[in-house]
Amino acid sequence: MSDSSEVEPRPGAPAFLPQSIGARRGGLALAAALAAFGLLFVWQAAGLDLGGIGLPGAGFFPLMTGAALAAFAIAIGVQLLREPDDGRVIEFGHRDVLIVFAAMLGVPLLFEPLGAYGTLGLFGAVLLVLIARTSLVRAGIAAVVAMTMCWGFFQQLLGLQLPAGPW
Amino acid sequence: MTGFEQLVDGFAVALSWKGLLYCFIGCLWGTIVGVLPGLGPLAGMTLLLPLTFGLEPTIGIIMLTGIFYGAMYGGSTTSILVRIPGEAASVVTCIDGYEMARQGRAGPALMIAAIGSFIGGTFSILGLMFIAPPLAKVMVAIGPSVEVVLMLLALSVIAIVSAGSRAKTAAMLLLGLVLGTVGLDNLTGTARFTFGNADLAGGLSFTALAIGLFGISEILINLEKTETIKAIQPKMRELIPRWKDLRESSGAVGRASVIGFIFGIIPGVSHVVSTFVSYAAEKRISKHPEQFGKGAIAGVAGPETANNAVTGTAMIPLLALGIPSIPATAILLSALTIHGVQPGPLLLKDHPEVFWGLVASMYIGNIMLLILNLPLVGIFVNLLRIPYAWLVPIILIVSIIGVYSVNSSVADIWIMVLSGGAGYVLRKFGYEMAPLLLALVLGDRLEDNFRLALTMSGGSYATFADHASIIVVASVAGLLLSVQALAWAFGYRKSFADEAERA
Repeated sequence: MSDSSEVEPRPGAPAFLPQSIGARRGGLALAAALAAFGLLFVWQAAGLDLGGIGLPGAGFFPLMTGAALAAFAIAIGVQLLREPDDGRVIEFGHRDVLIVFAAMLGVPLLFEPLGAYGTLGLFGAVLLVLIARTSLVRAGIAAVVAMTMCWGFFQQLLGLQLPAGPW
Repeated sequence: MTGFEQLVDGFAVALSWKGLLYCFIGCLWGTIVGVLPGLGPLAGMTLLLPLTFGLEPTIGIIMLTGIFYGAMYGGSTTSILVRIPGEAASVVTCIDGYEMARQGRAGPALMIAAIGSFIGGTFSILGLMFIAPPLAKVMVAIGPSVEVVLMLLALSVIAIVSAGSRAKTAAMLLLGLVLGTVGLDNLTGTARFTFGNADLAGGLSFTALAIGLFGISEILINLEKTETIKAIQPKMRELIPRWKDLRESSGAVGRASVIGFIFGIIPGVSHVVSTFVSYAAEKRISKHPEQFGKGAIAGVAGPETANNAVTGTAMIPLLALGIPSIPATAILLSALTIHGVQPGPLLLKDHPEVFWGLVASMYIGNIMLLILNLPLVGIFVNLLRIPYAWLVPIILIVSIIGVYSVNSSVADIWIMVLSGGAGYVLRKFGYEMAPLLLALVLGDRLEDNFRLALTMSGGSYATFADHASIIVVASVAGLLLSVQALAWAFGYRKSFADEAERA
């Protein structure tokens, strides 16, 4: 689909990334996780008022849907076990993906203590340096400009109040 | 008030300065997200969803809908000039569109795509205008039991016709239903799965989940790719098609309008399917099928018309029945609900200005897009030169602010981030997010109507098999079988769409 494009090697990524996982093994793990999630809802729903079959209570619907989810997840797992392993692998742990996800995890932690604009400015600058590979100075300038524009648009124009932090 | 008078009132809303401004913003942003590979109309709509909360319901919906059909227009640009579909519905256009561009005929390809999109879009709006009001009148008398049957039918159809594994689709539907039970029970006020956390009392934020599952996961997946983009740059004077091009594509445009119209109504059948059916139909009918794949103009005109013809008819189940048939309309449902407007049979009675204002704005938006797309194609192509690594922080920052603005809650940012990670992993293993989102939106109403129907019938399940329910099931089943037969007759196979969705 992208014959017109050139694939370039990604600079800066450690040699051990990305890691490959067998599609079958990963699929089984994911099916197991979905089944466990469904069973968690079944367990929690069982502690609620289930009502009667003709007049269901608050726990009835989540219990039934949780059980159905677990059943389908198990069926997916059984299907994967019955199919021969075609050797297909799925890659995880691409450098830029890990960096962006880790940075995103930091945002809600710092959003209120550091303030919205401080946190998002830092977030943007980190991403520009690490994935766009710009210089620190350029990233800093871009972050300041971006946060000024965000403040003007969201706070002044739309009247949206964001956490100010210690500032 | 007659329908015509209500349409005139609708134009009064759509032609107000706010209506025009937000329609333009939606169309422009929609075209941009359609052009940029990896964003897509869903991510585009969810990103701007929080911004609609301060607007009137009609104006907010006008903007969001503009993004939806704007993305259909924009997606064709990258398909034709780069051979990378801007969004899934433009996959088929890559085949002949790019070949035309390589032959120095990018301009006519873009022009025919724009004209076909305009005609298909207009045709579907007419359908919306003439079908939704009488359908709503018929459905206004339905009780909760028939609503349950309709919703279960919609979810079942999604499980059967969606791309990929049916078991995985069913699992995602059930996951959506399960996640929808988090929060206070609507009927008894019992806290469910909140674990004592007050932030979860209102349930999981739909906006956060939608942005996470679609927008964030899409960004993470695109970060894995290392392609640089080279676009063919058309010249303005080359945009004018030959008379021969117009003649050869006119039949395709007409047929694709009907195909897109029909497929738009069916739940879970994305606009991707309508484009494949249209392409298969044109190739089957053509006197020169050997030209398809080598720059046949009907191979561009048909799919591009079909994907826009879906947009209006996809609104019919949402506005007349309150049931979203595709994820984009699920987002519109969420936006309307947040504004206190419940889509469904009573919408035309209680809030006619929303329906007719939307219909009128779709006419105006289609005209705006026809005018916007061609002169600005050079600008849109230059957008493709912005390194993706620069776009990512911008998109994420806007997403975070948008999500936080809904409830001023950091918990929603957590939900967005974690659902983004979960969506990324699920998509890598072939699980679709669209069924999850649709079920999440419908789950609450499904459960409430289910329990209400049983309360009204004194606990008897026979209420779900009454006369009205049987008519509904039979009608929908008949429609689905007819459409499936039509698609097969034109050589469409589900595997084509499966491959396109994975591309």
